[in-house]
Amino acid sequence: MRERIPSGFDPFVLPFLIGIGFVLLYCLLAAMRVLWQCPREDRRRFFLSLITPTTALRNLWDIFANCLIHVKLWKRNKLLGFMHSSIAFGWFMIILLGHLEVFLFVPHRLNLFYYPIFFNYFVAETDTSLRGAFLFFLMDFFLLLILIGIALAIIKRVRSRLFGMRRTTRLSFLDTVGLYSLWLIFPLRLLAESFTASISGGSFLVKPLNWLLEAVLGSQFLLNPANNLPTWWAYSIVLGIFMVVLPFTRYMHIPTEMMLIPMRNAGLRIRHARRGYALLEVYSCPGCGVCIDACPMSVKKANIKDCTVYLNRQIRRGNERRIEEISDKCLLCGKCTEVCQVGVEGPALRIFQRARRQYAVNPDYAAVNVAPPESAGKVLYFGGCMTALTPSIGRSMESVLGKLGIDYTWMDRDGGICCGRPMLQAGRFPQAAEMVRKNTELIKASGADTLLLSCPICYKMFRDHYKLPGIRVVHHTQYFEELRRSGVLKLSKSDLCYAYHDPCELGRGCGVYEEPRTLLGSAAYIVEAEKNRGESICCGGSLGSLSLGFQQREAMTRRALENLTVAGPDAIATACPLCRSTFARYSSIPVRDIAEVVDLSL
Amino acid sequence: MKESVVIIGGGIAGLEAASQLLALGLSPVIVEKSDHLGGHVAEWYRLFPDLSPAQDLVTHLVSSTSGARIYLETEISRINALKDGYSATLNNGDVLFCKAVLVCTGFHLFDAAKKEEYGYGIYNSVITNRDLEHWFGGLEDARIPDNPRAVGFVHCVGSRDVKAGNTQCSKVCCMTAIKQAIEMKEKFPEAEVYCFYMDLRLFGKKYEDFYISAQRDYGIHFIRGRVSEVSEDIDGRLLVKAEDTLSGKPLKVRLDLLVLMAGMVCSPQTGRIASMVRAEVDDDGFLRSRDNIYSIVESGRKGIFFAGACTGTKTIPETVAEARAAALSAFRYIKEKA
Repeated sequence: MRERIPSGFDPFVLPFLIGIGFVLLYCLLAAMRVLWQCPREDRRRFFLSLITPTTALRNLWDIFANCLIHVKLWKRNKLLGFMHSSIAFGWFMIILLGHLEVFLFVPHRLNLFYYPIFFNYFVAETDTSLRGAFLFFLMDFFLLLILIGIALAIIKRVRSRLFGMRRTTRLSFLDTVGLYSLWLIFPLRLLAESFTASISGGSFLVKPLNWLLEAVLGSQFLLNPANNLPTWWAYSIVLGIFMVVLPFTRYMHIPTEMMLIPMRNAGLRIRHARRGYALLEVYSCPGCGVCIDACPMSVKKANIKDCTVYLNRQIRRGNERRIEEISDKCLLCGKCTEVCQVGVEGPALRIFQRARRQYAVNPDYAAVNVAPPESAGKVLYFGGCMTALTPSIGRSMESVLGKLGIDYTWMDRDGGICCGRPMLQAGRFPQAAEMVRKNTELIKASGADTLLLSCPICYKMFRDHYKLPGIRVVHHTQYFEELRRSGVLKLSKSDLCYAYHDPCELGRGCGVYEEPRTLLGSAAYIVEAEKNRGESICCGGSLGSLSLGFQQREAMTRRALENLTVAGPDAIATACPLCRSTFARYSSIPVRDIAEVVDLSL
Repeated sequence: MKESVVIIGGGIAGLEAASQLLALGLSPVIVEKSDHLGGHVAEWYRLFPDLSPAQDLVTHLVSSTSGARIYLETEISRINALKDGYSATLNNGDVLFCKAVLVCTGFHLFDAAKKEEYGYGIYNSVITNRDLEHWFGGLEDARIPDNPRAVGFVHCVGSRDVKAGNTQCSKVCCMTAIKQAIEMKEKFPEAEVYCFYMDLRLFGKKYEDFYISAQRDYGIHFIRGRVSEVSEDIDGRLLVKAEDTLSGKPLKVRLDLLVLMAGMVCSPQTGRIASMVRAEVDDDGFLRSRDNIYSIVESGRKGIFFAGACTGTKTIPETVAEARAAALSAFRYIKEKA
């Protein structure tokens, strides 16, 4: 290869240079801002993790798997995965191979930013450049891959169902500009390269197109700079436009995710709704809209704009009224996080947003006085408010524990203090902390070594937000399953066929999926819901929402019931008193807690 | 031949309408799905505010409709609109031709088990207002203790309750609770009787006097505050938790019997009938009248009339008055057409 343009410069590279200069400066400043907003200890943790070899390796692997290959999208839908990875990985490879070409053929130009991008304009093929043929082939191969990806993206805009998505996001104006410029970049590159392919060479894609153009327009036409330069200008301008609008579009997720992954791997978490790490999550949202179909609220069209993808958009826009509305409405079921390919924690963002609110009255629970549990039983059972409202579950718990002869104390049989989770979810951290403190005192004073919960909302709270050294916190499904395995609990299998509903707090919240199923499976037959485990649909009764009324929740509950009963079960089993009473309101078949099922089979 | 009117439902509304239509010279046909006439009133023992026997009213109404054709244990399977009237096909195969249809499908007593926190169907000594009336009427009920020391009444069970899916006031429960509280106090003078209410809606003639007498003459305790939950203590007594909103303090009371004042909800048959005659169902589940002031008994569809609790919660006097109004409206409609 030899250089065709001795100066190594042509004005057409300017739009690209302006674009890349702008986007790099913007990202640098944004990254510094995020780092500055993080608490000092988080910053320290982050820098330490970067020089820890294992974390550094994991970062590289995660960035490769998530940003380039989009592993999570592949798992969701093959076509969707292929579309994204072909564009992302293809583009990455083209940039990489461009640099390799510069390195191999014109190493002294490596200092020029634009050279690898416009390599084919600046060089001409010589007889000795045959060794570049393989690189040319690869370049064309990846360009073709990207073009296929773009074609799929265009199809997806029209027929999103082919990609496993019922609904996609409605784009903002700048997003549309970004989208169209992204779609244009690669066809224009193909055009520009094929105009000059008789000079700079090419492979199976560029060359034939060059011959075709020659046949139609004549080779003199192609070689005239007045004709081929505009194609390179167009390519550069579109690249420039894309990069200039990038920070203000959903495509900001591309650079942001590369910072989010190492920070998450360093163990950083959201500590403020709008600062530091939270900003990274917001800007990492690619606006794909997978969370729209996942959101239980989206059964009603009016709620679609309250999904996490729109929360992120409104936070970026600073639309306070909408941010509050969206944050208050959410059920905090966590399904958007479960399906999100970049792992935006919609519920956490909302909780911290709620925490910013100033309340005129802050309840004080200092006067609440509850006697500590009397006997120093080995097992302390905490039913919680929801079990108090579903007395048959509490009865079954008593009955099962009694039949097994387990020495236990029902801590809040005669009333107790809330575990604090509703206050935590409402973002009222000091109030929640007060309850945590009181309950911790009571539990520690009891001398118990096991804390048994029948409500997964309490279970999540005690597991994650209490410090109870030496005390095992266990949900009743886990506890009974353990007893069954050790032979203490002997169940007789009934003929009934149950559909098991994974409560949000137990499944996605605590990762308990297996124990309820094996336990239930030994007491009855199980069929699965259409969407189960991590993708189970919230019953609609969640305490998480601050503004949804009962009438608005009805459609969600009915949708969840429909999902549960696809296989035609005789009854529904769940492991949460709240899910149970919510479903029971509209279900045509019986709804039971696993404790009740166990009691029936004992 | 006399012009015929099909009356769906043989409760007090249907019976009273039939008796009026007979007097007006028409030929009413009552189609009743259960095996007895009189509906909910026939299951009641005594009626407020005069503690008059419910059976007297039902007997009177039944005797005054002896000239009407009556189908018991029969349901309507189809109603077709004809050129100048309707034909109703019954599930026994009979087809009735009529000039007008009068819907008197009434209400359904709220299923108290749906308010699980009150423990109906779970705890031994939790019953409903209807269970108590049955017991007053002489039916055995093992849940009612021989000598209760304390009895509680919970107002608004399934009424004015978004959670239960019913936002309407059932109108009669406040007075029924006071009546039953007085009756319990008469039976067990030593027992303490509590009424847990949100607010008392005592709008009718003599209602307020009845309430004052319950407090003054019978010593019944009225506690303003919704019951939050009910549990059972080790002796099997009920522990009721509520908030006394007048004193602003949470409250716990131990009881031997708890009576839930289950409210009125629309009857499940109503929706089916509504779709047959293409009447509209309101967002509270009850039928939608042409308007709620002047034409409550009219449906907005020709020849279809409503009476009683199918359009909303009603007291007995209201239901009876509406039945007469509906009979007159149907009569005028038929005469004007002829």
